Amino acid sequence: MRPVELYCWHFMSYPHLPKDFDEKYDTGWVTVPNKLWDKEKSKGLLRQYIDQLVYASQIGFDGMVLNEHHQNIYGLMPSPNIIAAALAHATRRGKIVVLGNLLPLHMNPLRVAEEYAMLDNMSDGRLIAGFAPGSGPETFNYDIPSAPSRENFWEAVDLIREAWTKPGPFAYEGKHYPLRYVNPWPQPTQRPHPPIWIPSGRSKGTLRQIARHGYSYFLSSRSHGAATAKAQQTFASVLGEYGQKYEPHRMGILMSCCVGETDKEAQEKSEEGIWYFLKNCLKGHQRREGRQLTFGPGVPYIPPEEWRDFLKFSDPTTPLLGDTEDWDDLERSASILVGSPDTVYERLAALLEQAPVGNLLLQFHLGNMADDFTRESMNLFATRVAPRLREKSKEIFARKFPYLNESMPEAVK
Amino acid sequence: MSTRVIDAHGRKVALIEAGSGEPLVYLHGFADLHGAMGELQPFHEGLAKNRRVYALAMPGVNGSGDLAEGWSPEDVTFSLLQTFDALGLQQFDLVGHCTGGWFAAEFAVRHPERVRKLALIGAAGLFVSGELIGDVFMNAQPERGVDYKTLRRMLFSSSDHPVAQQYYPDIRGDMDVEVRRYEMLRFGSFTGFKPPYFYNRSLIDRLYRASMPACVIAGEKDGMVPLAHAHAYARGLPGSGGKAHVIAGAGHAAHLEEPGKVGEILADFLQR
Repeated sequence: MRPVELYCWHFMSYPHLPKDFDEKYDTGWVTVPNKLWDKEKSKGLLRQYIDQLVYASQIGFDGMVLNEHHQNIYGLMPSPNIIAAALAHATRRGKIVVLGNLLPLHMNPLRVAEEYAMLDNMSDGRLIAGFAPGSGPETFNYDIPSAPSRENFWEAVDLIREAWTKPGPFAYEGKHYPLRYVNPWPQPTQRPHPPIWIPSGRSKGTLRQIARHGYSYFLSSRSHGAATAKAQQTFASVLGEYGQKYEPHRMGILMSCCVGETDKEAQEKSEEGIWYFLKNCLKGHQRREGRQLTFGPGVPYIPPEEWRDFLKFSDPTTPLLGDTEDWDDLERSASILVGSPDTVYERLAALLEQAPVGNLLLQFHLGNMADDFTRESMNLFATRVAPRLREKSKEIFARKFPYLNESMPEAVK
Repeated sequence: MSTRVIDAHGRKVALIEAGSGEPLVYLHGFADLHGAMGELQPFHEGLAKNRRVYALAMPGVNGSGDLAEGWSPEDVTFSLLQTFDALGLQQFDLVGHCTGGWFAAEFAVRHPERVRKLALIGAAGLFVSGELIGDVFMNAQPERGVDYKTLRRMLFSSSDHPVAQQYYPDIRGDMDVEVRRYEMLRFGSFTGFKPPYFYNRSLIDRLYRASMPACVIAGEKDGMVPLAHAHAYARGLPGSGGKAHVIAGAGHAAHLEEPGKVGEILADFLQR
């Protein structure tokens, strides 16, 4: 039985904001003035973040995760492929997950097919290729009209998959990205192509596309509970519509972990970084205060009939993760797990019991967290949480999905 | 008043009709009928006193079907041509507000022979350097998840104006209004998000072709389309007399805030 895979995700937030940032600025996204970038303090910052991911590879994480955001303090990684290139060269083991390139923001998807193929070659076939349409803020960052972005997105994914699998040169007769000559060199190392992961909320339309093409589903949510279990069940039932059986490694979720020797020590050492992250980095994204761009009308896009349902079943006054006010709130949100190795293990094991997913993408660095605690927390996780969790996951998966012991179709192995 | 859905070369087009007399086509904007409300407002009823008013819903809005292949200014304008053909309207007065004004102008420069008189209210559509049309998409994202103050201020003279409160209340309004607003935002996203925002750089040099009598109206406090655009339309449209009517104290939706004043200017213009 294949155990849960444990990845280290780095968001690369900006850690040098002034203390009064929350009072003075209404957002950390899109319009947050870049005069706040401190050139002196920021020297070596991206190198430090890359080194933390290299460390993750060295201490046994199954992979390293990167993503793409623009013009914000939450993630200083407008081009994750550049960081991925550094990791491909600096590490010899662990998957490199780019989750993902925001396709509507790229002038031509062929460029993404080419860069991912380069990364797959540079890393000896360790790339996991993520594709995403981009969340609310990106609409404003690159002037990407949200309404047509879904259609553009799926066409771009098709073009890239064909560029990797169909002998070139060929003409691609797309509506949005017509190309006379598709013939990328190099081709990816992995055959038929690197695994493809698609981040998504709970839209059935997107889940159907993921199922139909044999891709994997990453649930875009920072908080976990009943809704995560529901998403897993929905995905399983959508796979059923396509004659496929759910396999835990077709799905992943994001959690944040701060691990210390004891619960008290974990809290003390992570406190500043966590609240910096919640109040500054999430402002404009997952916090009611200010103007958050992530779930608003038309940004990102959903069809009008789904908007009616969204309105019916959502309450605009519900607090978001960034509205967390104390440790009890934080505990309830099941988003950032803070505690001893035992505490974190128990919480994650309970989560897997509730929502049996095969990929846990774990964020250790939050906000302005210090390098030494970030590494300490990662190390405690790798040595004292991961081994038990892997064993436990095998038991959970075997119990919940007895058919996994039988042969699985090649596509989902 | 009657509401119906017609077939325009295979695409559904929803429209409200009212009044009798010579035909007048009305193209709506954001804060408007179809863009938010489901029925004619006092301003539109005023138009219907002396005209047969055809108030079309833009593609994808309030019962009209999407465009199949694309949403460029050319595609939207061609869909209007198909709609007018389906309605059998050969020549008519054409009045538009906001994005409706933009597409009225796009139509008029291509088919001037079909437009008897052209009237634009707070019309988008032009590129005027240094005078960017405001970001309705950013402002449509409520502050604290519930507060539409900046959107109201963009579309009306003040956030507290009773009409503004009626169209864009805080937290949530009537579900049908919410969905219409969403559909209109979606239409805006398809047609006017890129380039930013709601303009066609080629339009200003084409205005000379729309040589029919024209009337350009704008609210003095328009927070979405800067007044410079109304003046640019007035300079570019040969039949406007070179001058825009600026409604003192009114915002972008001048026709909703001041239906009497705007209605009077239009009645005078249409009867001349």
